[in-house]
Amino acid sequence: MNDVTATEAHCVRALAAKDFMSGAHPIWCPGCGDYGVLAGLERALALHGRPPHEVALISGIGCSSRLPAYTNCYGFHGVHGRALAFATGLKLARPDLEVITVGGDGDGYSIGGNHFIHACRRNVDMLYIVMDNRVYGMTKGQPSPTTEPDWDSEIAPGGIGLRPFNPLAVAVASGANFVARAFAGQPDHLAQLVVEGIRWPGFAFIEVLSPCITFRPEQFDWKAKVRHDEAMIQNDRAAAIAATLADDGFNLGVVFKGERAAVTKPSQPIAPLSDIERQFTVGT
Amino acid sequence: MTAGTVFLRAAAQAGYYGLMTQLFGPQVRGGEAAALVQISTAPIECQPDRFDLFVALDWDKVEQFAPEIPLDQSSTIISNPADGAVPASIAKSKARLISLSMNDPGATRLDKALRGKRTNMFATGVVAGLVGLRAENLRIALAQVMVGKNVDVMEANTTALAAGIKAATALELGFKLEPTREMPRWLITGNQAIGLGALRGGVRFVGCYPITPATDLVEWLAPELQKLGGRLALAEDELASINMTLGASYGGVPAMTVTSGPGLSLMVETIGLAVAAEVPAVLIDVMRAGPSTGIPSKTEQSDVNIAIYGSHGDAPRVVLAPMSVGDCMTTAEWAVYLAESLQSPVIVLSDQALGQAQAVVDPGLARPKPLRRRTNGVSPGAQFKRYAIAADPVTPMPRPGSPGYQWVGEGLTHNEVGIPVGGAGAHVAQINKRAKKFDQFEPGEWWGQTWGQGDTAILTFGSSVGPAREAAQRLTGAGRPTRVIGLRVLSPIPRQALAQALKGARRVVVLEQNHGAQLYRHLLGNKAVPVTTESIARPGPLPFRPAEIAAHLA
Ligand SMILES: Cc1ncc(C[n+]2csc(CCOP(=O)(O)OP(=O)(O)O)c2C)c(N)n1
Ligand code: SF4
Repeated sequence: MNDVTATEAHCVRALAAKDFMSGAHPIWCPGCGDYGVLAGLERALALHGRPPHEVALISGIGCSSRLPAYTNCYGFHGVHGRALAFATGLKLARPDLEVITVGGDGDGYSIGGNHFIHACRRNVDMLYIVMDNRVYGMTKGQPSPTTEPDWDSEIAPGGIGLRPFNPLAVAVASGANFVARAFAGQPDHLAQLVVEGIRWPGFAFIEVLSPCITFRPEQFDWKAKVRHDEAMIQNDRAAAIAATLADDGFNLGVVFKGERAAVTKPSQPIAPLSDIERQFTVGT
Repeated sequence: MTAGTVFLRAAAQAGYYGLMTQLFGPQVRGGEAAALVQISTAPIECQPDRFDLFVALDWDKVEQFAPEIPLDQSSTIISNPADGAVPASIAKSKARLISLSMNDPGATRLDKALRGKRTNMFATGVVAGLVGLRAENLRIALAQVMVGKNVDVMEANTTALAAGIKAATALELGFKLEPTREMPRWLITGNQAIGLGALRGGVRFVGCYPITPATDLVEWLAPELQKLGGRLALAEDELASINMTLGASYGGVPAMTVTSGPGLSLMVETIGLAVAAEVPAVLIDVMRAGPSTGIPSKTEQSDVNIAIYGSHGDAPRVVLAPMSVGDCMTTAEWAVYLAESLQSPVIVLSDQALGQAQAVVDPGLARPKPLRRRTNGVSPGAQFKRYAIAADPVTPMPRPGSPGYQWVGEGLTHNEVGIPVGGAGAHVAQINKRAKKFDQFEPGEWWGQTWGQGDTAILTFGSSVGPAREAAQRLTGAGRPTRVIGLRVLSPIPRQALAQALKGARRVVVLEQNHGAQLYRHLLGNKAVPVTTESIARPGPLPFRPAEIAAHLA
């Protein structure tokens, strides 16, 4: 399984963001934060320098999960919540590819929550970007695991009344090796974090505040609330968790970097199949 | 279990065929267990109507196993006088009873405390002596089973074995087997055979989550995959294991997941994804008694419906079933070729009775011809259409990393490029494209097999093929010619081959081990069998025995 084609991160000519655009027209509402994430990701991939055919973007279901088809990379748009598992299988089988998973907060923290925890634990060398709009956009506005308890909606009049999930703290606690927060309204900053996340060994997770302008128009104000905070913590998971639990959710930047070794590549074949078959023989 | 394994292995060494089925109590590890071993000069592919010999190492909770160990007046029971009277559940067979002290005569109290009683090896020696196996065969078998154990343990076991053989000389019970010639054979379980078949087919990635009775399959595979440069990923659940499998397969590596009913239920949504996005994947379902958690360690053939039809939407796929322990190898290898060449999920319905049975088989089984995934055949430059509507419904799926062919696998209804669209045109076109793959599918000689040509036909699959064949032989011998048709392909139904196999049959009976007659309804509903076809369908976990089937048909 290692008869791979091109693998090295070199390039003949500098890549531009437009090399990563497919030209397909996004279904997103005008003003959706996900446009900014797409732009930031394309810039990041150009900066990173591996050509589109060496990158695979994997997603689940939701508005945000539509992203792979808008790029010119390989990709897979699977079922709701299982993108990280798919990406894990792909990266384990094809360590030569740059594997990036993208999706929403419902996809990643709700239906796919278990896979999120285990992807952090497993620490396979890939990047996960969540476009968090604190709502289920695609199904038209129900509260998600990150929604504020008092946010009023048709399905939960007066608010869902539940404590929001803290993805960064969970990621750090579960073993992710790189954890950061970005904002869709700042694609260049996002691009820097993406490049850093891709290049950092092990599982990298970037939570992107990505407003849903249709069902959460008040999120328009996020651009005034976000602030850069370069207080990155290296290796001390307890301190990083404390910091993420203490912040108000609008600090942007790298929160944590760890030095856990990433899952190893598969070994080279050491025996032919006939050796394996020999264990079954009995008699002369 | 060690006793059964050593005995079976020694018999295989001597040139006999054999089959061992294991019974366990409800607790997961340790506790009471029984090894049912059959040996013969001819291949054995089913459990017998009755056992000749029952050796009790103790009587602990034996009543739970009694229905699975049929004994009668001509059976013999050997038990340890120190263990007390034969419990009623066993004694009611009226089998002849022989008392034999089985405690290791040479063992001191310290030996016993340190290494346990050697009763099991002593008993193995007794049985081997009674059927006439040579001490040399036993010695080799023991050494192979005990590999890695220290010299003391080995020695204690060898002593106990020898004592058993000696004790047998004092008993003359008429169990001596016909002599046979030593032949190279394989001793393999159905689960190992599936694993090996998959490796032969090229599987180099396995995503799995442990579940009885499929766990030993993946435990066998994990180190072997590593030797071949592949890898097994232990997922957090079956939702993950099947998605990991699809991910690896999307990457171009033939991939497989292994599970049993509860896991298959969790995988159903992603089976539909594999169908829609046209991703090759092999799914092994080692069936156990269901529904829900059912009886984890016991067999049943009740996942036919979920395997063939489990999904929302129109989601055709291939469903296969191995017909014997040896055939697990063939069927699994072929499953990989079909998955790869049809770009489809292929479900293999094995069952606990095949998977956890250990059999002596002939190694030289015919192997299917390799079929590979189409990854090329597209001209660079023009926009690549992964899901093109063309004469051949199987369209190339270039391996990620190939420049110029970037494509996005898509589970939503999509156009030829793979972009999601909501219209009727693309929806119908893509459904037809996928359906065409299965309409055109021609299994050739691998569709299944017919034995005999009587005008009564027993049509069956999986672990029911063995007892059906034995029953048919008896019926034929008694002047009621009966044929058996075993289906390796359950879906899409191999219509032509099946019609051919049914030619001249006046009575057709579909035999299966589930209450709902799932296979019967599948075949009847698809008009693949005559309307007069009868059904013998009953749930597990008790295996079909030849006498039961013969009585039904008489
Ligand atoms: C198994 C399953 N359950 C429910 C749905 C319906 N569904 C589609 S997208 C979605 C939520 C998407 O929310 P999120 O992941 O936050 O993405 P967004 O649309 O907000 O970007 C749901 C519940 C589905 N497609 N599959
Ligand atoms: S509904 Fe919300 S998340 Fe979905 S595209 Fe529109 S703005 Fe974006």
